[in-house]
Amino acid sequence: MGLINNSRAKSPWVVHFDCGSCNGCDIEVLACLTPLYDIERFGILNIGNPKHADVLLVTGTVNPRNERVLRNVYEQIPEPKVVVAIGACACTGGVFADCYNVIQGVDKIIPVDVYVPGCAARPEAIIDGVVLGLQKFQEKVEKMNKKAVGN
Amino acid sequence: MVVLAIVLGPIIGGLLTGIDRKITARLQGRFGPPIMQPFYDVFKLLGKEKFINNKVQIVYVITYLFFAMLSFVLFVLGQDLIAIIFVLTVGGGAMVMGALSVRSPYSQIGSQREILQMLAYDPLLIITAVAMFMVTGSFKVAEIVNYQIHNNTPLLYVLPLVFIVLIEVLSIKMRKSPFDISAGQHAHQEIVRGVHTEFSGPYLALIEVAHWYELMLALGFVAIFFASNWYIAATLVIVMYLLEIILDNTTARLTWKWMLKSAWGFGIVLCAVNIIALYFI
Amino acid sequence: MLDTLLLILIALPFIAGFICLALKNHSARAVVVVLVSIVLMITSVVLLGQGNFEYTLGGQWNTLITYLDFALLAYIAFQAFYHRKYHSLFAYSAVIFAIASIVMVYYFDFVMAHGIEVEPTFFADQLSIIMVLIISIVGSLICIFGIPYMKDHEHHLHLEITRQPRFFLYLVLFLGAMNGLVLANNIVWLLFFWEITTLCSFMLIGHDKTEIATVNALRAISMNMLGGVGFTAGVMILFSNAHTLSLIDIINSNHAPSLLILPLSLMVFAGLTKAAQVPFQSWLLGAMVAPTPVSALLHSSTMVKAGVYLIVRLAPAYADTWLSTMVAILGGLTFVITSALAVGQSNGKKVLAYSTIANLGLIIACAGINTPLAYAGAIFLIIFHAVSKALLFLCVGTIEHGIGSRDIEDMHGLVDKMPLTAVISVIGMLTMFLPPFGMLIGKWTAMEAASVLPIVLLLMILGSAITIVFWVRWAGILMSTSSKPVKRVIENIAFLTKTPLVVLAALAIILNVIIFQVYNLMISPLAKVYYTKAADTFTQVGNGALVNTVGSFTLWPIFATVIVVILFSIYAVGKAKNSVVTAPYMCGETADNDEDRPRFRAIADGWVDYSHSNYYLNRVFGEEVLTNGSNIISIIAILVMFIVAYMGL
Ligand code: SF4
Repeated sequence: MGLINNSRAKSPWVVHFDCGSCNGCDIEVLACLTPLYDIERFGILNIGNPKHADVLLVTGTVNPRNERVLRNVYEQIPEPKVVVAIGACACTGGVFADCYNVIQGVDKIIPVDVYVPGCAARPEAIIDGVVLGLQKFQEKVEKMNKKAVGN
Repeated sequence: MVVLAIVLGPIIGGLLTGIDRKITARLQGRFGPPIMQPFYDVFKLLGKEKFINNKVQIVYVITYLFFAMLSFVLFVLGQDLIAIIFVLTVGGGAMVMGALSVRSPYSQIGSQREILQMLAYDPLLIITAVAMFMVTGSFKVAEIVNYQIHNNTPLLYVLPLVFIVLIEVLSIKMRKSPFDISAGQHAHQEIVRGVHTEFSGPYLALIEVAHWYELMLALGFVAIFFASNWYIAATLVIVMYLLEIILDNTTARLTWKWMLKSAWGFGIVLCAVNIIALYFI
Repeated sequence: MLDTLLLILIALPFIAGFICLALKNHSARAVVVVLVSIVLMITSVVLLGQGNFEYTLGGQWNTLITYLDFALLAYIAFQAFYHRKYHSLFAYSAVIFAIASIVMVYYFDFVMAHGIEVEPTFFADQLSIIMVLIISIVGSLICIFGIPYMKDHEHHLHLEITRQPRFFLYLVLFLGAMNGLVLANNIVWLLFFWEITTLCSFMLIGHDKTEIATVNALRAISMNMLGGVGFTAGVMILFSNAHTLSLIDIINSNHAPSLLILPLSLMVFAGLTKAAQVPFQSWLLGAMVAPTPVSALLHSSTMVKAGVYLIVRLAPAYADTWLSTMVAILGGLTFVITSALAVGQSNGKKVLAYSTIANLGLIIACAGINTPLAYAGAIFLIIFHAVSKALLFLCVGTIEHGIGSRDIEDMHGLVDKMPLTAVISVIGMLTMFLPPFGMLIGKWTAMEAASVLPIVLLLMILGSAITIVFWVRWAGILMSTSSKPVKRVIENIAFLTKTPLVVLAALAIILNVIIFQVYNLMISPLAKVYYTKAADTFTQVGNGALVNTVGSFTLWPIFATVIVVILFSIYAVGKAKNSVVTAPYMCGETADNDEDRPRFRAIADGWVDYSHSNYYLNRVFGEEVLTNGSNIISIIAILVMFIVAYMGL
């Protein structure tokens, strides 16, 4: 079990979901993959399929049209999983918070573990966010085990 | 021997994959993950929640794993090459059927493309075995190795063209660019994740391990081209592997038609030329 | 004892056939068919215990056969002429061929070989006995399957008056004809039974009396009669050259091969037409319009095997000749071409038909390679192909009645609707192309034997790679299931449908377990008798391995792995009870619906369907693309074969 738990922190695969970002934050997420930041150093891979992912990166504002898509993607990630909300928009709605069609924050829809502020969030901050999220894996695993015992 | 093969196979295979990722990263000007990264990935996947679409899937994954293992073990034991390739087919077939068993558009497409990959590499692999038979007079790995040791003539000298074809076969089998048409390696995307789309968590981990066995088998094929001297054989394997990685990073994905044409056209013609040439040497 | 056995195996089906014709009551007919089937099965097993034998019938029987032959050919000519308005070319050519046969048989029987006695009339070695077992066991099971099938079939067609008596006449009678064919030693008798099977095939293909059925029946008979003419000519030349009509004599002959080669090539040609080898594949494809039991019995497991039987039977006689090489190449060509054609088909029965032709081609290629090892491979393939393919045809028939379609694309998720049939079909398919099943052992043997003939080996390799394509995807589709919890259905199929399916599936598996015994008991003596000088057959069999001089196939690790996989699967599936069952990944846009397959959500909360299908690659593997070219190639190859034979090489 120790081996598996150690490995969790060393191989977080992320899936990136863009709720309706201005693309500012998206660009920064992708910047993390570039040679300059190279998140693969930490074993992080950008995966296109939630079923393979451990970390969900959400950028942009959620709205009533895409909220269920977000929820579906979230549900298709197997436990243990961590959600990182990236950018002001994802955290609170940001500059669009007052729009008639905007939900103020991803956490209104799915549980969020880490909030990465910024407009746009800097790559360093994003990487920090993911690493912070990894620390939460431990709690998640415990919760998961408890659930399993409960069953 | 058997136990050794079963245990060491995936360990070396995993390490090689780690090296592959490291070199790939360096080729792209990145620092890259630790060498042990593939193991972390697999262990992590093992600890994930089990997500399935249906229970048949599980059976297919297990079939894939054990038959990949069996084909490698048979190889190490020096068994009949054609029999080994047939056993390998079982694993490949199970993978395809597993992907087909889910009514997901992505895994369905992926499986069709995987079938095409099998169609492309399978005959070439058998022809390679036949070419080896033509020289050594036996289909058995042990005999092929013995022949080279006795006569001190590595197969590579007499079968250079077949060896070139083997490069392509390995690219297809290992799903390396330009032939990664059914599922990408590492973080490459291919219509989501091709055949692997609907496998997750522990099952994906098993697939990864099976893949390591297959990698080892493929490199074994390379090694017996120079069985008269194991040091050179090892060098040959390393060079071949590096070549694959460089190819992977310098080429773009081709369409399936290209793959079939090059495998059946280029591959078979080269092998045929080489085999005909054997009669004149 | 022996005469009783022969009587039961050959004459009983004829008698039972006519009883079926006379019986108007469905259940009475069913009882007759089932009884005859059981008797045949038991008798064939007794014959197996009896072992090899020879048996001679008196001269008056020969005369009887001669007259019956005239009657038969005349009836064929009449039938073809009667249906001429459907397709005049096929009909008139069949009439011409039939009349030509009559003239030739007349000349032969009354001028050339008048009063010739051939001893023995019947003989059996292991090959004959294997064929008898296949015909009597697999064939009988198919006849039993036919009882409920035809009832359903006529129900679908809304027939007022049942035409089943006629159907079962030909179906049951056919078994007798086939048994006679494989046991005959006198070639004239063999030819007679040969023509009976041709007639049965014609009658059964055209059974539904639709226009397309009749046209296809005419196509079949014209091609088969062409083969018959070739056969008759072969017999005549054989007699004038070597003055013998006895099969045993030809095979063990001390005649100079050059005298035999031309007649042998004509007989091989007859075999090629009967086995529907390219360029004659179209008749077998057309024959798929017939009700499924017919396809299973005549056009996959037995009648087409008659052609193969003849070629394999005669193989030792033309060993080490150029003719043999040409036969191997022709078989190999057919194997590749028809395998490729099968990839382009989505019609399940057509896939089976093409795959049947392909496997027959493989067997013929083995015969052409003509070494003990190849001979063993051929017989492996004959046995395992008969069982698996008959099973698959019956499965497709059952599926067709269950879901109303024989298209592979309609079989997605069949395991939810017809679990038993789907699982049995998948077993049948896996036995066709995966180790440790017999078909693959046969293929492996064939390949290692072909190592003496690289060009044929290349054809085999390509063909076997293509084969995987259509089996894997078909088997995969059958087992695809919905990720929603499905209601467990108990399949409601008739007892007489289920029994043959289950028995054949069991046979397909059990035969693999006893493959070594089969080899030691049936195959290895044959190879030893017919190939005295060469010794490169399996040098050692048993201990879970087949070993020959160039390689070895250790089977026990595969069986062990299969068992491990099964145990592990049971464990893992059991553990997966609590795991989460999710819908497939649909980019987060899975729409809720009651269908068994997911859909994408669309505008205004509606949904859109997506469609996916297998790649049939029609621009590469389509019939239009491949047929012409391959026909030309194979016609050229056949011509070369004749030229080679004419030159006596
Ligand atoms: S936080 Fe700023 S940069 Fe990021 S999506 Fe919102 S508006 Fe764009």
